[in-house]
Amino acid sequence: MTIQLQLHHSIRAHQDKLWSLSVHKTQPLLATASSDKTCKIFNLSTKQEITSLDDTHKRSIRTVAWKPIVGDDDDEVEPSLACGSFDSTISVWGQDQTEWSLFAVIEGHENEVKCVAWNNSGELLASCSRDKTIWIWEADRDNEEFECISVLQDHTQDVKCVTWHDSLDLLASGSYDDSVRLWREEDDDEDWGCFAELKGHKGTVWGVGFEKGEERLRVVSCSDDHTVKVWKCVDDADEEDVWIEQSTLPSAHQRAVYSVCWSGVSGRIASVGSDGRLVVYEEDEEAGSGKWNIVAVKELAHGVYEVNSVKWFSLQGKEYLITGGDDGVVNIWSI
Amino acid sequence: MSEVINANPTILDVNALPTREDELNSKSQAPKRLNHNIDTLLRLSLTKLKLNESPTVIPALTDDETSDSASASASDFEELEEFEPIDSQEIYDLIATISDPEHPLTLGQLAVINLPDIKVIDNGDPESMAEVVIKITPTITHCSLATLIGLGIRVRLERALPARFRITILVKEGTHQSENQVNKQLNDKERVFAACENDQLLGVISTMLKTCK
Repeated sequence: MTIQLQLHHSIRAHQDKLWSLSVHKTQPLLATASSDKTCKIFNLSTKQEITSLDDTHKRSIRTVAWKPIVGDDDDEVEPSLACGSFDSTISVWGQDQTEWSLFAVIEGHENEVKCVAWNNSGELLASCSRDKTIWIWEADRDNEEFECISVLQDHTQDVKCVTWHDSLDLLASGSYDDSVRLWREEDDDEDWGCFAELKGHKGTVWGVGFEKGEERLRVVSCSDDHTVKVWKCVDDADEEDVWIEQSTLPSAHQRAVYSVCWSGVSGRIASVGSDGRLVVYEEDEEAGSGKWNIVAVKELAHGVYEVNSVKWFSLQGKEYLITGGDDGVVNIWSI
Repeated sequence: MSEVINANPTILDVNALPTREDELNSKSQAPKRLNHNIDTLLRLSLTKLKLNESPTVIPALTDDETSDSASASASDFEELEEFEPIDSQEIYDLIATISDPEHPLTLGQLAVINLPDIKVIDNGDPESMAEVVIKITPTITHCSLATLIGLGIRVRLERALPARFRITILVKEGTHQSENQVNKQLNDKERVFAACENDQLLGVISTMLKTCK
């Protein structure tokens, strides 16, 4: 079976490379991060720009992530996000009445911040850097105080990406050392530790993502070696946490794969990369089988430019894909 | 530079470096794009070209290196007229004039850049992807400047080539102790971009690129 990807809408968001994009979990908001040192916010219903967050970072903004809004008083909490920059700092912004304001600048990393990610409760923020470390920060409700609760130093090279499970406090990271590592809080103390190292890629791991839900524990990763792999936690009576490489997805990229995203709605995986392709994969037979087929390939998704980021999102009950590239453009794809 | 790393490199004579004219004289490789060398063309009287009809656009002579230039037909010209593929000599001309960071010589003169080590895949279409792969030969196997030289080449090509090009820069097999490390670093988009935001490093690269025409 194949599906059709149609370009639904295109937004010329930035003058320079668009590195990262994030869609808010509960509100129709898009944030984009760029080498032009700005982060822009768009309304996904109207496709209009809401604001541009600038004059804070001295170098490229590499990563952006919306903080999830949780709790029983959703209406009272206004949206906020974190940006990570090559200038080694992280900025936290939020809507305050009608204005967007800078709430905090977090310092700690020695050099370029490559990725930031919030856990499901919005209480923890993870950041990673070329300094080979991952820092976990505890955030207060107002986004004013960030306390570092752990520094994870097991990767031997730049950490390129971090991502959280959508309901459990499990963190995954990918690195220039070609490995994926999984982390969680250790039982006995409050410190965090690595509980699995996934080796198999033959190049930098540019992107990671967890399968949504708790039925199965799986991770998808994409790499400079042109492949996308799915890793699986297998039950073992004697040993805990045995992770295996379940599948290498059918080959669809000819160059580095920069971003990957696992849909919580359809169970499909999407990947984008240097070759300009947007690829969608679907699992055969039943979910969990580990047999994947390519169901869509969009060539030149951003013209001749590289594609840096891909995400699934839903709007009014319909699922879309959204991509950002070196052309500074955001493309929204209907399926 | 406090200490010279390779104090006594082998130097090629500037006149011995490959140029467009060499190619034309030898006729072994038909050039794909000639518009900057009309005079040479006329001298060699490749009479099938009607230069007076389209003075600004000189069509490609052949599709690839293996076919003979004389067999290029008029229909080939028409087909390719709107596209001007970039060939390895053009890439060579862009980067061979980059200065070495520690010698007052160019990368061409030091044979760090060599024409046979440049591979180009390009059909000239601005709306499809193209690729260039360059293998550099460091002057000594432990040259700590290999990464800087590679970065200079990448910056030069990213500025000069159209967006359709994917650039791969590799150290030639067996010419460097840390071949894999250097290769990985030179082709990591994120590291390269971050390095180019470093003013000090960019200053060094700008000096290297000053000798480019």
